[in-house]
Amino acid sequence: MAESANNSGLLAVRLVTPDRVLLDATAEAVELPSMSGYLEALYGHAPLLTELGAGEVRLHGGTAGEQKFFVAWGFVEVLPERVTILAETALHPNEIDVAQAKLEMQAGEKLWHEAGDDGSKYDEANAVTRQAEEKIASAEGKSS
Amino acid sequence: MANVLDLRRRIRSVKNTRQITKAMKMVSAAKLRRAQERAMLARPYAQMLTNVLDSLVRRTDLYNDATGDVMHPLLVEREEKNVLVVVVAGDKGFAGAFNSNIIKASQGFIDSRRVLGQNLDVEPIGRKAREFFRKRHPEAAYQKTEEHYDNDLATHYETVRHRIEPVEVTGDHPTLLLKLEFDEVMAMSNSIVDRYTRAEIDSVYVVYNEFKSVISQRLVVEKLLPIRKLGAHEITASEEMTEEQKEAAGRAALSSGVSLDEPEETALEAEARKFGTAEVDYIYDQAPDRLFRHLMPRYVTTQLFHALLESVAAEHAARMTAMDAATSNAGDMIDALSLTMNRVRQAAITKEIIEIVSGAAAL
Repeated sequence: MAESANNSGLLAVRLVTPDRVLLDATAEAVELPSMSGYLEALYGHAPLLTELGAGEVRLHGGTAGEQKFFVAWGFVEVLPERVTILAETALHPNEIDVAQAKLEMQAGEKLWHEAGDDGSKYDEANAVTRQAEEKIASAEGKSS
Repeated sequence: MANVLDLRRRIRSVKNTRQITKAMKMVSAAKLRRAQERAMLARPYAQMLTNVLDSLVRRTDLYNDATGDVMHPLLVEREEKNVLVVVVAGDKGFAGAFNSNIIKASQGFIDSRRVLGQNLDVEPIGRKAREFFRKRHPEAAYQKTEEHYDNDLATHYETVRHRIEPVEVTGDHPTLLLKLEFDEVMAMSNSIVDRYTRAEIDSVYVVYNEFKSVISQRLVVEKLLPIRKLGAHEITASEEMTEEQKEAAGRAALSSGVSLDEPEETALEAEARKFGTAEVDYIYDQAPDRLFRHLMPRYVTTQLFHALLESVAAEHAARMTAMDAATSNAGDMIDALSLTMNRVRQAAITKEIIEIVSGAAAL
């Protein structure tokens, strides 16, 4: 893929949500909350396709500067010179409503208690709770 | 014959009406532009999601080799006994035949399925559709059961549907069209997927107004589930615009500054098309079949979201056209009334002159 690479050493980063393209910038490094933990992509990363979990996308350097976005579920495609993030929910930490997130957490716990013997419902409940937890963490991270 | 004063009053009233319809037309045109823009902005995401799914399909087996079973519940095809129809109409009237066409098409679809002896569920979206179907059909009744076993350590929950009539109404989405948020659409599609997985319904169709541009719209019945081919819209029936309607819509668009052309593909969309399809071997962080399972319900959601966005644009376009027609009708009416008024006034003057002249002649 080297022939199509821009030689600036910067990654073209794009954050796409169902509603719009939230971010279109370049960065030196991108941290991504994949399902199996955080990973960081730098320029020249091997092609990778992974599912995103709930957490923060952090951008460093480039035109993006230091930016953080809370994302919940999505996909990311990493190419040597480009990172495209497909997120179902993407919010600026400032936009997060902590009270609302706490309600969501309670709803998740309620789901968990009501799941009964259905495994998939437990997964669903856990996903809701985790998303709410990450949301709160992301919102509070901005103050520190 | 009406007198001059009455006619003048009527003309004034029609003029007021014309002003209102003109304003409504301009408002609809502005809203249409915004709706079109939104539909455009939603495209890259849908395109990318389809791409990922598409490339996954090539990498995973959709069928289990040993048993021949389909790997994902949303791909399973069953005999159609219970059919769900999602009817997408509008919240408000004054949009010409927009709502009644949708309702007519859905009713036609329901009738054709009833003849085959199938049961139907109707999921109305938009106030107009809700009012229509709720009046005619009862709401679906669900019963939640709880079963305890293992000394109350484990509980089994089950939702049972009790069908009373062959056609019932499910789901209630009174606020869905107000803002049209993705989350809300997702809640709805999750419930539909859930019902499909439980085999409560065997297929899902959406009746909505497809919108490419002001002069290129059609009313379609699209099959949503089971999924047969990814990225394709499976249209089972459609109703094109007539030439007359196209002309009216074109006139309305022209006079309110809305473009007639389909919006061009942006650079971003062209790039979205390439997402996940680079000729390289990707490292997959997760097992493809797991990704696939997570993706399928989302794919259904984007399909629905797309249908809703287009329907909203079509509604505004329909209102714009209707209001344009109303405005020009009001203009015609004012002309006709002014003519009558002038004639009446002239007649009165002539009569007076004749009276004076004949009075003078009698002297």
